[in-house]
Amino acid sequence: MRPPKPLSLPAGTVALPSSGRRRFVQGMTALAAVCASGLPGRAAWAQPAGPEQLSGTTFDLVIDELPVNFTGTPRIATVVNGRLPGPILRVREGDTVTLRVTNRLREMTTIHWHGVILPPEMDGVPGISFPGIAPGETFTYRFTLVQSGTYWYHAHTLHEQTGLYGALIVEPRVADPVVVDRDYPVILADWTDEDPLQVFLNLKKMGGYYNFAQPTVGDFLADVSGAGLTAAFEKRRMWYRSRMNPTDFSDVSAATYTYLMNGASPAGNWTALARPGERVRLRFIGAGTATYFDVRIPGLPLTVVATDGQAVEPVEVDEFRIGPGETYDVIVQLPDERAYSIYAQSMDRTGFARGTLAPRDGMTAEQPPLEPPIWLDPIDMMGAMAAMGNMPDMADGAGPHAGHGMVERPARARHARTEYGATTDMRVDYPRDNLDDPGTGLRGNGRRVLTYADLRTIGGPLDARVPQRELELHLTGNMERFIWSLDGVKLNDAKPIHFRKDERLRVTLVNDSTMAHPMHLHGMWSELESPQGVFQVRKHTVSVQPAQRVSFAVTADAPGRWAFHCHLLYHMAAGMFREVVVA
Amino acid sequence: MTRSITGSLPLTCLAVALALVAPPGLAADPEARAEADPPAEDPGAMAMPAADAAQDSSDPTPPPMAMQMGSMQGGQAPPDARDPDAWADGYEYTGMPGFEQTDQIVFGTVLVDELELASGDEGDGLGWSWQAAYGGDQSKLWLRSQGLKVEGQRVDPASDLEVLHWRATGAFWGRMLGIRQDFGPDGHTWVAAGIQGLAPYWFELQATAYLAEDGRVAGRLKAAYDLRFTNRLILTPELEANAYSRADPARGLGSGLGNVELGLRLRYEVRRKVAPYVGIVWERAFGGTADQARARGDAVTERRVVAGLRVWW
Repeated sequence: MRPPKPLSLPAGTVALPSSGRRRFVQGMTALAAVCASGLPGRAAWAQPAGPEQLSGTTFDLVIDELPVNFTGTPRIATVVNGRLPGPILRVREGDTVTLRVTNRLREMTTIHWHGVILPPEMDGVPGISFPGIAPGETFTYRFTLVQSGTYWYHAHTLHEQTGLYGALIVEPRVADPVVVDRDYPVILADWTDEDPLQVFLNLKKMGGYYNFAQPTVGDFLADVSGAGLTAAFEKRRMWYRSRMNPTDFSDVSAATYTYLMNGASPAGNWTALARPGERVRLRFIGAGTATYFDVRIPGLPLTVVATDGQAVEPVEVDEFRIGPGETYDVIVQLPDERAYSIYAQSMDRTGFARGTLAPRDGMTAEQPPLEPPIWLDPIDMMGAMAAMGNMPDMADGAGPHAGHGMVERPARARHARTEYGATTDMRVDYPRDNLDDPGTGLRGNGRRVLTYADLRTIGGPLDARVPQRELELHLTGNMERFIWSLDGVKLNDAKPIHFRKDERLRVTLVNDSTMAHPMHLHGMWSELESPQGVFQVRKHTVSVQPAQRVSFAVTADAPGRWAFHCHLLYHMAAGMFREVVVA
Repeated sequence: MTRSITGSLPLTCLAVALALVAPPGLAADPEARAEADPPAEDPGAMAMPAADAAQDSSDPTPPPMAMQMGSMQGGQAPPDARDPDAWADGYEYTGMPGFEQTDQIVFGTVLVDELELASGDEGDGLGWSWQAAYGGDQSKLWLRSQGLKVEGQRVDPASDLEVLHWRATGAFWGRMLGIRQDFGPDGHTWVAAGIQGLAPYWFELQATAYLAEDGRVAGRLKAAYDLRFTNRLILTPELEANAYSRADPARGLGSGLGNVELGLRLRYEVRRKVAPYVGIVWERAFGGTADQARARGDAVTERRVVAGLRVWW
């Protein structure tokens, strides 16, 4: 064990139990129940972890290990101030904050302030912002908050998978136009009992390691009896011939994951309390390392008022998909004395995170059943080709949204010459541009599902200039060998991307894969454009759907070196990452 | 079907063997042809009109999807393909400590595909097929071994250990270069060259040509397919064929196609990495190899029931 290290902590934080003691977070209620035990099986209640929420301008955060149990098997998590998720940090726009982060692990770690505009050396990306926080060291982050809204923080290392993440709420300097009675961050995350490095190696050795929904003989026979032999072959031909798996939504599934809501497993039933009639702001944070969640509260409409911290024109939906890195602020009103499930299925339909919105603790609502696993639609591989109606089985996936807004004559993508090698298993020549697509598994499901086309940032773009140049990058991979890259080149085989200081440029991403990728640019906003080039919504993490083309405008007003990467942790680790130099 | 290989050069042997085993439709598949031939990844099959014509902005109407599919994978970059370094403007990484290195990870893996007790017409024995690899995404060191030893008999002539260097040649294919050492008396040492990869429709293929110290040539082809009854209960049909340029009476081998082995193994993945299985194997000797078997009074065809364990890590 590490030697105990005395820490003098100011008021507002809580001293951690000494590291020699065994602490144990019960998986069911990781938020509340922290108990200590010298012997396994003989738990005794002990001092709680640090407070759930910290506010002010000065913060002391200690990163440490903590035994947890989410699955019945004790494991070691990486936590902040003894908590998983870390404490909610509430700060105020315009304030200069000081965050002293102490690393009590045996290896380097970091905290990255996701979506926060700050100086490059405060961004927390090891190897780009700074060398990381060495074991035993304290790093002092200091920056002035120039924005408000829902953000979050997380390790920019594999510790993100083991629990190092938390909510960062920046209160607006002026009164918040969104008036609510209750306000809760809702962090959606995935937990595995396996070592993240082992997960990565499993994927490197077998791309479909965690996929137990692969097509079977039984599926084929069912299709034959339902639609006939020809249709059953035709449905498979494109996928089988190209060696693309039609069920590859997430690399990592519930085969190893337990999905968490604010650190509680579904059985733990995290609960947001509200009285009937009260307006509740739920700040959803996508902290899944490999998981997109489809979120709904059956029986209640959701009014989306912000994404990635930025206010949008309110839009009412029944459901929304949230990718790793993204945030969505949602207003709901509790209509009566009943409980309502906050239900977040994983995109691959192998599991769910779940909590409850209720007037009293301990209430539960009926949960919707987990939806059956589905296949990708042809549009998710062929892009605009499939959307043009050449595919006989498009009926399957053509929901009310699919197809609208598709440009009539799709533009051809310009592939990099490095996309013709071993790193890249497919290329989409004619990607689709349809922002009004809710995505695979949500098309035509009978519910009102949010799409990027529904999001409009209030106040328009930060910079009215027309982008002076366009930079095209392709999202590429090799699913069999689990190689992920941009333009077919992995991080360390590539050169950085240069943004000219103060230019307004357009970044066009073409997804040459059948997986969605949440692309996160550090240090500067990504102002998403419609297919017609009109400003749509300001984001820090832009999810690009399979075989889709998406453009966003950037104002390169942040000199320095920044990270740009896929926020699926294992894609980032595999090389889907670039350094961006603004100079 | 059996004699065409006799006396041919290793590469021809390999190509013919590949053509023989290709499932219907596969041999005509442009992707398969393109990728199975490492030195010329795109032998023109990919030169769809789409690739060039569509660059012409006067006619942005894309080609029909059937044509599209052919150009989605493999192939060669067109002359006007984008430069991946174009956005760098000469900038380089700073190389600060802590920079993400996991994309360059080097790791080892071992797959014991078959480790089985075999019971057949000629007696009981032990069969195996395993491979181990160590390296990164582009290049790996491979060890491969397979064989069968039936009690009271000499080790099966197709029992050997190979040490190979693998290099990725495409998204689904790699080429192998190295040596093979036969097991048993009178075994040869061979130089080995081949390909290994995943053909369209998810057929796993391995084709290797061998050149021995005395100039003799051999070829081996293996193909397998995973048929999932469920995501854990998986039937694997497997085919192996061995051919030789010269007879080798000491090892009971004639020239030409020596043997074809068809296996059907049904495994249950208790975990991803651990799967017990049962199966049946049918093997037949051909040509001179069959003649020698008959002369010894042995059967030309053999059937074996097998039971074993598939594990990897």
